[in-house]
Amino acid sequence: MKVVLAGNLNVGKSALFSRITGIGVISANYPGTTVQFESASVTHKGQVIEVFDLPGTYSLSGVTEDERVATRLLAEKDPDCVIAVLDATRLEQGLVLVLQLIELGYRVIVALNFMDQARKRFNLDVKRLEDILKVPVVPTVALSGEGVGRLMDIVVSESVRRSYYVTRYDSHIEAFLEEMAAGKVETGSGFPIRGASIKLLEGNPYFTKQFSPSVKRLADEYRKEFREQHFEDVEVHIARDRYGEAGKIASEVVDWLPKKEMTTKDRISEFTLRPRTGIPLLIGVLLGIFLSVVIIGGELETLITGAYNALVGDAFDQLAALIGGTAGQAIASGINLSIQAILAIVIPYILVFYLILAVLEDSGYLPRAVMLLDGLMVRLGLHGQAVIPMVVGTGCNVPAILATRTLESKRERLILSTIIVMAVPCSAQTVIIIGTVGQHSGILWAGLIYLTLLGLALVLGRVLHKVLKEEPPSLVIEIPELSMPSVRNVLLKTWLRVKDFFVIAFPLLLVGSLVLELLMEYNILNALVDPLSFLTVWLLGLPPVIIVALVFGVLRKEMALQILFVIFSLSAGADLGTVLTSEQLFVFALVMATYMPCIGVFAALTKEFGLKEAVAVSLASITLAFLLGGAAHFLLSL
Amino acid sequence: MVSENAEDYLACIYDLTREDEPVKTTAIAAKLDLTPASVTEMMQKLAAEGYLNYEKYKGVTLTSKGRTVAERIKRRHRLLERFLVDIVGMEKEQGHLEAMKLEHNVSDETVEVINQMLNYPTVCPDGDPIPCCESPATPDPAFSMPLSDMSDGDQGKITHLACEDSAKIKRLISMGFVPGRRIKVEERIPLGGPILVQMEEMKVALSRDYASKVMVRKCD
Repeated sequence: MKVVLAGNLNVGKSALFSRITGIGVISANYPGTTVQFESASVTHKGQVIEVFDLPGTYSLSGVTEDERVATRLLAEKDPDCVIAVLDATRLEQGLVLVLQLIELGYRVIVALNFMDQARKRFNLDVKRLEDILKVPVVPTVALSGEGVGRLMDIVVSESVRRSYYVTRYDSHIEAFLEEMAAGKVETGSGFPIRGASIKLLEGNPYFTKQFSPSVKRLADEYRKEFREQHFEDVEVHIARDRYGEAGKIASEVVDWLPKKEMTTKDRISEFTLRPRTGIPLLIGVLLGIFLSVVIIGGELETLITGAYNALVGDAFDQLAALIGGTAGQAIASGINLSIQAILAIVIPYILVFYLILAVLEDSGYLPRAVMLLDGLMVRLGLHGQAVIPMVVGTGCNVPAILATRTLESKRERLILSTIIVMAVPCSAQTVIIIGTVGQHSGILWAGLIYLTLLGLALVLGRVLHKVLKEEPPSLVIEIPELSMPSVRNVLLKTWLRVKDFFVIAFPLLLVGSLVLELLMEYNILNALVDPLSFLTVWLLGLPPVIIVALVFGVLRKEMALQILFVIFSLSAGADLGTVLTSEQLFVFALVMATYMPCIGVFAALTKEFGLKEAVAVSLASITLAFLLGGAAHFLLSL
Repeated sequence: MVSENAEDYLACIYDLTREDEPVKTTAIAAKLDLTPASVTEMMQKLAAEGYLNYEKYKGVTLTSKGRTVAERIKRRHRLLERFLVDIVGMEKEQGHLEAMKLEHNVSDETVEVINQMLNYPTVCPDGDPIPCCESPATPDPAFSMPLSDMSDGDQGKITHLACEDSAKIKRLISMGFVPGRRIKVEERIPLGGPILVQMEEMKVALSRDYASKVMVRKCD
């Protein structure tokens, strides 16, 4: 059987999904994180259940991409039942979605999540809520697992029926609905005519296209008439009625406990929100991330390389001797360097970064940062809504490009994606910047690269802002409550993100470095890289062999750094300063920070915007990287 | 001050007036279900008080003084009808009868509040236009103001969304900015940043652009 999880944002839907299925989902407190339709199979009491996790949505009216995706996927999956996940502390908002699910004829089970929090504030009459809505209601706490078993018991019992609860609308809207019902209009999709008609009036494109042209005309006329008479759009009135209904239900089942004094959590929340304290905190947090990655990452690297070398001993020398000859040397050192590169160069920094990111996401801090930064961003010519994808982009550009879906027009999404690709350093690029310039020339020089990128983002923002005629969409974002991130979730999320570096990056690197080692041992490599030396030597002032790092950087960004160690036959932890000057390291890091998107990002761009656009963005960023690198080389050699 | 009875007569003449043609006494008598004789008597009285021009055999026309009274009463009637039908939920016929009774006694202030509450409708439930008042009782600016103009700590109820862009309206309503809901301004973020508001149990940050479209009536 098929079950879909639906709910508002920030209701712990993904946490519940991972509780039910035991599978990790990368979720976070901002729109667009559940960008793909996550699904998993789980067996409960002998029944195989397919569980789908819908992107978080406040309504099914189909305004934003998220809402459209949610409406369409919900209809396509044709689930046996829908688990509507509500935040019990914000009952009204969640009920608005439940009313719509019921209206569309889905068999609904309500999961009242965050019940532990709600109990501290009010008594919630669950039985009464069940009686009113005529659907099963199960209090849950996704983080501890409370109620999840009961929820699944109800799912497999197949006792969930369509609720006949009816949301009442304004008499004029009801008149239209009656007319539709009387006309016995068919939608051909099995939705109850009342529910589909309301969606038609609301203008949800998924439903409008199911009706015949004459019915659509009727609805359009009706919308016009309604507007003339009420001086209010019909969709506003529908929402007004729905919230009225939800509010009435909430007030019937909720019995408030006496208001307590501000708790410590409230005080911390206030501290993060109020600009006077929040902005200094934000600056501290940003600096903290940077310093932690550099310092803790560096410490970890020393620790890991030390342990690795002690563990391995002269095993690779023996391996080389075993295979024998030049090839033996090449193979042994290829394997050795690959393992070192993964363990020592990438893992410490990326691990630290993702751990911090996961904590920030799960604590609900990110939307606060977005809110405080929005005014500044808009002043600098960037869109308010752009902040979230850009923050996500400092982790990885792929989800960042998907997160641009919260913007309304495709053109704007493309522009923002371009800025992200060129000017927002992903975690792998951060590793390169810190691993080269940061370690050799110090934090100040690394800071200079970040400043250059920031400047680049601002210039790009300005230019594109000018080119763009439309009004920038502005920010509307929910500020969730702060919550203590669960260790399990943070670790799970970090693992999901770091996993790729082992399963995808390691084999690539291994093969790549074996080939390179062989080419070097047989002295072929130099002949191969010479023809491109006008780019590397003349323009950038780098050794010709560096082109290999740039090529590998297309596969995965961090490989560019790892390959540096391979082509210069350095062991991890060695000082790159012995083979490249400070200026060369700076130019290299700058080129890599703006350089063409990696394959993953290229695929994401193609998927979202088309091949032509993806190629254009890539070419533009390659050109930009070489121009910037060339300029830096020129300036530094003055 | 005009009597209720006189108000009804003037309103009736207003309804029957077509392109400034005089209205016949018989037509008025038919509409109000009275004898022509008693109508004629009232016409003479109202003409003497300067509300009507009365021409024997041709009929009556409203003077500007009479017109003001008639428009005021029609306006009240149609706004009350709207209120009774849309908000109270009465049937049209019932709303009409109820409005007939209330229109004479309701205060001007109440009528204007109803007008704002209904978001300035222009027609009554039957589609007849609602006349503008002669001297518009200027709406109290404190009645409904853009969210973006409110100060930290201000509370109120959303009255309507003042926006022509359907995509923006939908976005606002899907985030819960729906007329009738209570809202509190928590903090205006500096540098032209968003406004942090509290609605029920939910906190939302919205840009000033969006906030200027949410109209709120301040209350405690």
